[in-house]
Amino acid sequence: MTADNILTVDGLSVSYGKFNAVQNVSFSVRKGEIFGLLGPNGAGKTSTLSSIEGLLKPQAGTIVVDGNDAITKPLHARASLGVQLQSTSFQPELFVIEVLQLYAGIYGVPASKSDLMATLKEINLEDSAMKKFGELSGGQQQRVSLVIATIHNPRLVLLDEPTTGLDPQSRRQLWERIEAIRERGHAVLLTTHSMEEAESVCDRIAIIDHGRVIAIDTPQAMIDKHKDEPEVIAVSRRGRITLEDVFIALTGKAIRS
Amino acid sequence: METSIPKASTVLKTLLRADFTTQWRNRRAVILTLIVPVIILATWKPLVGKLGGPFVLSNSITIGLIAIGLMGYSNAIARDRDKGIFQRLRVAPISSWSIMTSRLLVQIAMILMVTTAVFIVGNSYDQVTLTPAGYAVTYLSALIGGALYLGLGQMIVGRIQNPETVNSTVRLVYFLFIMGGMLGQFYNNAEFQNAVKWSPYGTVKTILAFGMEPEKWNNDASMALLVTIAYTVVCAVLGIKWFKWNTK
Repeated sequence: MTADNILTVDGLSVSYGKFNAVQNVSFSVRKGEIFGLLGPNGAGKTSTLSSIEGLLKPQAGTIVVDGNDAITKPLHARASLGVQLQSTSFQPELFVIEVLQLYAGIYGVPASKSDLMATLKEINLEDSAMKKFGELSGGQQQRVSLVIATIHNPRLVLLDEPTTGLDPQSRRQLWERIEAIRERGHAVLLTTHSMEEAESVCDRIAIIDHGRVIAIDTPQAMIDKHKDEPEVIAVSRRGRITLEDVFIALTGKAIRS
Repeated sequence: METSIPKASTVLKTLLRADFTTQWRNRRAVILTLIVPVIILATWKPLVGKLGGPFVLSNSITIGLIAIGLMGYSNAIARDRDKGIFQRLRVAPISSWSIMTSRLLVQIAMILMVTTAVFIVGNSYDQVTLTPAGYAVTYLSALIGGALYLGLGQMIVGRIQNPETVNSTVRLVYFLFIMGGMLGQFYNNAEFQNAVKWSPYGTVKTILAFGMEPEKWNNDASMALLVTIAYTVVCAVLGIKWFKWNTK
């Protein structure tokens, strides 16, 4: 692991019974980088992320987060991680300010009520402090989830399809917040189906399919590398090669359930 | 450089505050847990003279403990699991045991609350008074009995993933306990009565009743205590073994 890497995944394999969801996956995320993990449904993105988060025990491989082995020292690794799950929910009886209080406490962040109100003010949700999480709109819920994921100033933030279901304005706002995390010197690993998101936000991307990483590079370099391949040209539309064309050419046109 | 993780005591304190707040805001569930024991105390008042105060109070408390373990605990765990609340907690730098300890401590508080409510209503409405030792041993018996039903609840939520199915199952088991356990003790069949006596309902009711009059504690009570503990261990071990933290 180089000193520049905040996350190193090496030879990761995850199985569910006889089904190999992740096979020998290796990649790293550098400090101050937004790294995207792209893949069709069932490719192994969430299983990879779940292993990093400590929710799944891999059958093989190593995961090192900020110098901590995530398998032998899971609590230390998780302390360096901020996580926004694909479908995050919090206790429905708690108000937003109480959810922030809960997570500040379990991440060991000494924060008074006024500190937390100031945090809500930064994301324009101070008026929602005494609302329940379920009463917020989708965009508001994502903002709160992201704030909770970063409440302890983690070195690496994991976002599982963070803009799914958001309208364009909310999505753009979330991208800006994700970029702001990078500006603070932290790293982001996100999974996404959106090629537009991958091209707009990610510094580097990895394409994963059938549990294996099939390409890692910057979005533009990936397009440049594959743009002249017949399979890519065959799926392109209106003559312009996009990342989506490269993705479909590499992973196939078949719809995955 | 090793990252620091928050102290276990800080984590537990934070979780407890959230879990107690959640329980408090579910006041309707709390009231429902209290209401059935109170109804039993009110409707069984004529039995106090015939069968004794400990008989009535022990049945009340037992029903209350079943409601806590099955309806309260199981449903809450199943719901929170389905919503992904446990997933979100488990990606934080806290151990799984601290999450469950906090949940169980809230249920222990509920057990003590129901027992106290039965004592208060039993005293004011049914004029049943116990000795200080009686109150103390009964609280202990309630905790042991409550642990059995929490273990049973854990077993149900460990085996069944879907929260609606958990809800229907615990309601069915609760109904069976009332019909078979509580009302079954009046059924004029020696074999059936013996089966009820050594069932998870009967053993808890027995240790509660004898706990209220500790000077009368006998071999039957000791055996009931051992059987209760055995039931608890089996349910808890299976419940923990079967339990999955998410429904996917």
